[in-house]
Amino acid sequence: MKRRWSSLLAAAFLAVLAGLMAWPGGGTAAQADQGPVLVGFIHNAQNQPVAGVHVQLVSSKTGTSVADTQSQPDGRFALQIEHHLQGQLEIKADREHFESITIPVSQTLLTELQGGQSIEIPTITLTRRIGISFWIATAIFLLVLVLIAMEGLQNTLAVLVGTTLVFGFSYLGSAINPDLFIFNFSRALEFIDWNVIFLIMGMMIVIAVVERTGLFQWLGYFAYRVSRGKAWLMVPILMVTAGVASAFLDNVTTMLLMTPISIQIAMALGIQPLALLMPEVLGSNVIGISTLIGTPTNILIGSAGKISFSDFLINLTPGVLMSMVGLIIYCEWIYWKELRAATHPSPTLLEMLEENAQITEPDNLKKAGVVGAGMIVLFVTGEFFHMVPSVTALMGATALLLWIGPDIEEMIEAVDWTTLVFFIGLFVVVGAIQEVGLVDLIAQGIGHLVGENLLLTTMAIIWSSALLSTVIANIPFTAAMLPVIAFLSGTVPGASDKVLYYSLSVGSAMGGNGSLIGASANLVTAGIAERAGYPISYMYFLKRGFPALLITVALSTLWLYFHFLP
Amino acid sequence: MAGIVCAIRGGPSSQPTIDRAIQLAKEEDLQIHFLYVVNLDFLAHTNKSRVQTLDKEMHQMGEFILISAQDRAMSRGIHADGVVRKGVIADEIISLARDVEADYVILGSPQVETEANVFTRQRMEAFSQRISDESGAEVVLVEDQTA
Repeated sequence: MKRRWSSLLAAAFLAVLAGLMAWPGGGTAAQADQGPVLVGFIHNAQNQPVAGVHVQLVSSKTGTSVADTQSQPDGRFALQIEHHLQGQLEIKADREHFESITIPVSQTLLTELQGGQSIEIPTITLTRRIGISFWIATAIFLLVLVLIAMEGLQNTLAVLVGTTLVFGFSYLGSAINPDLFIFNFSRALEFIDWNVIFLIMGMMIVIAVVERTGLFQWLGYFAYRVSRGKAWLMVPILMVTAGVASAFLDNVTTMLLMTPISIQIAMALGIQPLALLMPEVLGSNVIGISTLIGTPTNILIGSAGKISFSDFLINLTPGVLMSMVGLIIYCEWIYWKELRAATHPSPTLLEMLEENAQITEPDNLKKAGVVGAGMIVLFVTGEFFHMVPSVTALMGATALLLWIGPDIEEMIEAVDWTTLVFFIGLFVVVGAIQEVGLVDLIAQGIGHLVGENLLLTTMAIIWSSALLSTVIANIPFTAAMLPVIAFLSGTVPGASDKVLYYSLSVGSAMGGNGSLIGASANLVTAGIAERAGYPISYMYFLKRGFPALLITVALSTLWLYFHFLP
Repeated sequence: MAGIVCAIRGGPSSQPTIDRAIQLAKEEDLQIHFLYVVNLDFLAHTNKSRVQTLDKEMHQMGEFILISAQDRAMSRGIHADGVVRKGVIADEIISLARDVEADYVILGSPQVETEANVFTRQRMEAFSQRISDESGAEVVLVEDQTA
């Protein structure tokens, strides 16, 4: 009874949260009609809006402020003139990490304002100031990347260290030297993408219910049954099964639960387990990118680029299918010898295999299936209601909690809070390099290199992100690249259809196949395989995974070229 | 109870260890207690919260690995059982050796020497001595032929 009530309470909380997130924005209060207004926009050198700029209308003679305001996220500002204007005036724009600018108000504009007429001035462009805080934020970001790559600290701890350093310099450091200021706490919160956080949290609850049903293990065994034990046929079935499960749940969970059963199948058939595991993990990394929720990088990209669930399906799935055909042929080729070595299965082991692959909670699986189908419908149709994907995920999680009534404490434990904190910290650290202008500089640099050539830009994004994802963690990399992609999408002709976002999605996720450390699913698979006596070394993965990267990324590039480029 | 405790991980590197245990069991007319230890430390850096999820699956996989070893022993006329435990590998070997009052503990040599591998050669001698001291069993080290 207590369990039931706690489940209901948790569900109610999630429902309220979903409702709040779905509620349309309140909008800004209507501007009081108290006098003329001087409006304008403030952009940076890359023509991107700059928020939080302190804009003042001041007397040129005395320096007294006549009106002041702050620029909005779209760079817009509106100076409400409430006093009678006298003498020469000038507009002053100040913001940390930018050079201050003063623009005199022309006599014509001044006369219009004095006559009570509102005016709009040309866009003000601010120039970046590269100060000590720029280098500090950059160093902190690099430190976090190195700590993650070298496993110097647990990932979440690494970003927390980064976050603490950013705030330490901003608050304590700036008391000694104001140039050390990066941003304050409220500004940092603006960089956190709550749609991403709640989408991941909602999906974690859904996954926690599904993973207890035995579905993943059954899927592994299903592949064995359908292929009638023919290893060469089982490989593509396992690859597609793991891939589809990854696309709708997540690839780490899929590989976490399918790896043990796959090892058992391989042992029962007398084949080398890595001949099944490698194709499975490579396939799950590839097919995972077909949907918005398939990979953490897609969740980041979808939210930042406002790309819907159906957009991902339509624009990436054909390329993913092409890549999968290439990948299946490649895997059959490299593991042909091992797959042909299959012997007659051991009856004892087969019996045990079947026992281990049972659906353990059939009722809950049916309920999860119904809710899952509803969620997919909402993911696809949600854009028509302007409903962000996180609301769908929270609704799905709520429905499952209400319907199944699981132990809420178990469900809360199943939410990977460490990962959520990792994302929050990551947004702050990446926000810091955005704030100080590093991202602008990178965007400017890439812009200079590729010019206005869309093909070159697309190629550069896909291949650089694919290759970099083999050596650095693709989640922080993607998070840092998103503002760069936003800039390039606005400046490169033809890129407004989000081809560069899809390029980043393909590169960062398929790039994970290039090395053992390229994706979390690879590490999880290797960890379990090693526990069964079949270690996957870095070199073993590199030798088989890197060619897979080249094949799949090349085929997806081909698709993006024909689909998007003229 | 008495017998031979044989800690295995599965895979080709465990085969010489299993064979040595079978050979010794024949010579001494003893039962083999195969041991598989579930250890999920590899999730610590990235997916610590998933330890509970994977626990049952790894337990089942361990049983599967043990059944293979037991089949192998039984096909050569040796009685063998299998035990899956969860925890620190070294501690669990000692614990089982004590529980069954083992005469021998068979250990495979490390395939790869890493910091994370409890069976690095440097630690092996100290560990063997510890087993002898704490359980009274004689430790037999088996060189991995596949390395």
